[in-house]
Amino acid sequence: MASAMEQPGEKLAAGAEGCGEVRGEPQAAGESIEDRIRLLLRLRAQTKQQLLEYKSMIDANEEKTPEQIMQEKQIEVKIEDLENEIEDVKSDFEMKTLALNRMKLSAALTNNMEKMDAESSVLTDDMKHILELHKLIMKSQEESSELEEKLLDVRKKRLQIKQTSRSMLLEIQTEKSKQKKDLDNMENSDVIKTMQKKLQMEIKITTVIQHVFQGLILGSKTNWAEDSALKEIVLQLEKDLNTI
Amino acid sequence: MSVLRSMDKLPDLNRATILLVGTEDALLQKLAESMLQEHCASELRVHLANSLPLPSTVNRPRIDLIVFVINLHSKYSLRKVEECLSHVDSSFFLGKVCFLATGAGRESHCSIHQNTVIKLARTYRSPLLFCDLEVGSFRATMAQRLVRMLQICAGHVPGISAVNLLSLLRCSDSTPSKEL
Repeated sequence: MASAMEQPGEKLAAGAEGCGEVRGEPQAAGESIEDRIRLLLRLRAQTKQQLLEYKSMIDANEEKTPEQIMQEKQIEVKIEDLENEIEDVKSDFEMKTLALNRMKLSAALTNNMEKMDAESSVLTDDMKHILELHKLIMKSQEESSELEEKLLDVRKKRLQIKQTSRSMLLEIQTEKSKQKKDLDNMENSDVIKTMQKKLQMEIKITTVIQHVFQGLILGSKTNWAEDSALKEIVLQLEKDLNTI
Repeated sequence: MSVLRSMDKLPDLNRATILLVGTEDALLQKLAESMLQEHCASELRVHLANSLPLPSTVNRPRIDLIVFVINLHSKYSLRKVEECLSHVDSSFFLGKVCFLATGAGRESHCSIHQNTVIKLARTYRSPLLFCDLEVGSFRATMAQRLVRMLQICAGHVPGISAVNLLSLLRCSDSTPSKEL
């Protein structure tokens, strides 16, 4: 349908024809056997790789696609999972190859060591140096792990102290608020109100009595300033009972 | 054939074919020339196309890598590329498709936001490359890169396949999209 509507345009690049010229390989005269062997080996590796790709495509096509219609989000999640699987397999493979290479290297080294005696001094020096460095590395790794543990302990203690201080502060706060509440309650209670009323009453009565005594003494026209005891009594009667 | 399939034909010996799809003929031509100047052990063939589907009359070798060139200055190129994507078989998207966005250097002329192209590449799970194809040195570097990718996708490099390369090229900033 689309091909009828659009005008698809395709042209071979001018250089495509020029690509017929094989790069890197000298033509005809001057081609040595080594170059030919190199070419053949390269072609062999290429064909192997391409065969591998086709085989994997065949295997992939044998997998049945799920019949149910999944939502786009689910498909994306599945794709992510599959990609993560690929990454895991790749990293596993890389690590195994590394381990294999190391084993091969050590095997070759041991073989060589057995063969060479006088010439192996450089090799043995290097190996000894490597061993020393390994020991250093292990030691410093141990030290660093110890330091990390100490750091962790200190952090834990700090956290504990923080938590206890926090709980104590909370306690203090609750106690204070309780006290304040109690105080408010007390002030509002009726008992206190009646007591306050009585107190006011008594103060009024006492003030009246004070004034009566004052009147008595002044009325008797005695000179109260001469006698110290009388002076004291008069001055005491002046005191305002509300301010006590 | 209206749909491009990746493994329909057998590969030619020592030959790698790349298909550049885009609306800017001049840029594609220049990129093709830069690629052909690259030093490469295998034989390179560069095909240019404005849109898919390709005419079935031409005898064409197996296409190893498709590069969709999007010009950030024109919305037309983006639309054309999106239309072409439906003519490509899903087996291609396992590492044999690449998006190339050009013209990001001149922000004032850009009519397509970079995020649009990034989202497009993420939907199709293919690598996205940015390059200003007008500048000669950038073009030469990009040509070198494409030649290496092409060699891997054609199977000329033992030990790496297109799918392997795809997981290597996976963008590390794919997680922020989940937060959006």
